[in-house]
Amino acid sequence: MKRKVFLVLSLVVLISLFSFAQDEKYYPEYKGKPVTITMWAWTSNEDYSIAEFEKAYPNIKVQWENFGVHYTKAQTALSAGSGLPDVLMVEYSYAPQYMDLGAFQPINKWLDEDTFIELYGEAALKWCSMDGEIYGTPQDSGALGFFYRKDIFDKYDLKVPKTWEEFAEQAKKLHDLNPEINFITLPIDHWWVDGPIWQAGGKLFDYKDGNWYIDFTNPTAERVFEFWGELIDEGIVKLEMWWTPDWYNALNTGQTASIMLGAWFSEWLKYNAPDSSGLWRVSVPPQWDINNPHNGMTGGSGFYVTSHSKNPEAAAIFVNWLNSHPESLKCLHNYSNLPIMVSTRYENIIEEISGPDEYFGGQNIVETLWESHKLVDTSFKHLPVMSNLANSITMLMQDYLDGKIEKFADILPLWEKEAISIMKEFGYNNVVVGELP
Amino acid sequence: MEGRLFPSSYQKLKHGGGFFLKKRRLDSVKAYVFLSPFLFFFSFMVLYPIIKGFDLSLKGQRGARMWYVGFDNYARVLTDPKFWESFKIPAYLLLVQVPLMIFCAILIALLLEKVEGRKGATFFRLVYYIPSTIPAIVAAIIWGYMFSDSMSPFLPILNLVGFSGKLLTREIVPLVMLIIILWQLTGYTAIMIYSSLLSIPKEYTEAATLDGAGYWQIAFRIKVPIIKDMLITLFIFNAIGALQVFNEPWMLGGLVVLPTNYTPAMYIYNSAFAHGRFTYAAAMGLILAAITFLISFYFLKSATKEMFTE
Repeated sequence: MKRKVFLVLSLVVLISLFSFAQDEKYYPEYKGKPVTITMWAWTSNEDYSIAEFEKAYPNIKVQWENFGVHYTKAQTALSAGSGLPDVLMVEYSYAPQYMDLGAFQPINKWLDEDTFIELYGEAALKWCSMDGEIYGTPQDSGALGFFYRKDIFDKYDLKVPKTWEEFAEQAKKLHDLNPEINFITLPIDHWWVDGPIWQAGGKLFDYKDGNWYIDFTNPTAERVFEFWGELIDEGIVKLEMWWTPDWYNALNTGQTASIMLGAWFSEWLKYNAPDSSGLWRVSVPPQWDINNPHNGMTGGSGFYVTSHSKNPEAAAIFVNWLNSHPESLKCLHNYSNLPIMVSTRYENIIEEISGPDEYFGGQNIVETLWESHKLVDTSFKHLPVMSNLANSITMLMQDYLDGKIEKFADILPLWEKEAISIMKEFGYNNVVVGELP
Repeated sequence: MEGRLFPSSYQKLKHGGGFFLKKRRLDSVKAYVFLSPFLFFFSFMVLYPIIKGFDLSLKGQRGARMWYVGFDNYARVLTDPKFWESFKIPAYLLLVQVPLMIFCAILIALLLEKVEGRKGATFFRLVYYIPSTIPAIVAAIIWGYMFSDSMSPFLPILNLVGFSGKLLTREIVPLVMLIIILWQLTGYTAIMIYSSLLSIPKEYTEAATLDGAGYWQIAFRIKVPIIKDMLITLFIFNAIGALQVFNEPWMLGGLVVLPTNYTPAMYIYNSAFAHGRFTYAAAMGLILAAITFLISFYFLKSATKEMFTE
């Protein structure tokens, strides 16, 4: 008995020693003077993580400000040459634009590439670094999940699709049985910039060694657009403006049976469609090739150290601790309502923090979404003209709806043309068209 | 300059004498002391931004890096088809909304004048005034709900007529904007006109009545011409509002797809804050200001000319 206790005790000591050593390796000691750093972030309740951080680093205080999505403010401060906080939250898709404009400063000194890959995985490197310089760390994942209404699926005897082929069958089936209910609706917005094509393991653009690459009409992207094009042209799948009162209402009242969005959307659903509690479920998105599964992201944000920061050391230590330390990840999950964090260390705490979710009828959605997240195995860098690219796809989709473009799939080459001219308009001469690295 | 500001001391100065000179200087000092709060705020909040904006418009920009390019931005704005396309909506508002609103406001003002002093008159004035007290952006959100496909309060009526389909489409946005702006500003404009109407001496209308003029004749032949100055001012203010329209299309842009250059103000905003081209936006802003000035100047000039020829 005594020996058993001793064994357990020594094991506990060993593990804690080991994890302490690990912590030391990941999170360098802060040697500078006591400082206060500022951060802009729109996630809720980041203060719980901050409190934990300040316990671990008593010499660094973090002042968190929440202005909502603060891109206009950040753009202004960037152009003015001063006024950015030490740490800025930016979506992965917008980060390259800020990196390219010199909004961030490298933090490799405090977080080298090997440690970064160990903590966040290799894919994330594309979202947080450029030309070998690391600028920040990834927080939550935008891995796509297939959210669906179990009640509607049961009522019309629909199967949860494992492949896109099955998806099309089920969509047609519901359309025949009840054309009033949408199997899924697709947005007239920037969702198309990455989500569905990334999910097929493809991409529209990338960056490598000082050049931007554009090739929208590659086989993978064409396949995705043709697949959706067929369903949309036939009227089985509807395009609509998302995030409008009508859209929320449709989700809340069961006008729409499914939706494909980033992991973070699970929380949005809970808040914006409370009447449909217990009716939703989530699954890994349908696949193009069941033997070679992929996933993509839409949304998800990183925390970057800005070029205006006077305390890059403290800021670098903070962004790394915030987004990878188990204590912080727990807080982010429990209080900031982020379902999935990108950090590889998140896997170790999933069992502890996840459980049946009442809104999703008792399903453990964190497990499913983590599975979805792990399928995000390809990566690329977004073009530095994201808002223009989003405007351009939005306008083209509206033109399609207005009958100015005959077939949905024809949007893709037109969009490519616009992307090329936007890059030119914004003075990028280092653009390679028609190939991807 | 000071002579015009202080005619009395100028008069005294003419008669000469050291005392008056000192007095004049003292007057100037006093004047500037009183003027200083205004001058301070004017220079920091009006002059400085204008100069800064002009300075910005002469630069090229990539992120935080800026360099002088002379009048390059202006040349590019003037040849930017997206900029000129954005004037479609202001032109439409200028030609349709402004005259229509002022005409409706005149009718309401006449009505308010007619019920003046009767029971409930204040209540009606208040009712007409209320919409203008609601911030435009809040009003636009509420109107967004009014035109939503699933929650519009007009749905029962529309269903009765057999209408189905999308309520708010890209084509209908100009009409929706017209409704929102009319709803918001007609009452306010009517109150302004009404207060001018009250200042017309009663003798005029009494004399006209004795001469056998009817109510509408008096209204449009006598009263409206008398308050013409007021109407011109209202016209100019609303013309400026039409050229700079932003809130309504901005809000509706969240419900229906609108181009980033739907109106000049939207294009300027998007260029600066969504696309980070502050210097280009500054040049556009100044060109828009110049156009606004020219249009108001033209109105004012043609209106006064008309008055003189009458």
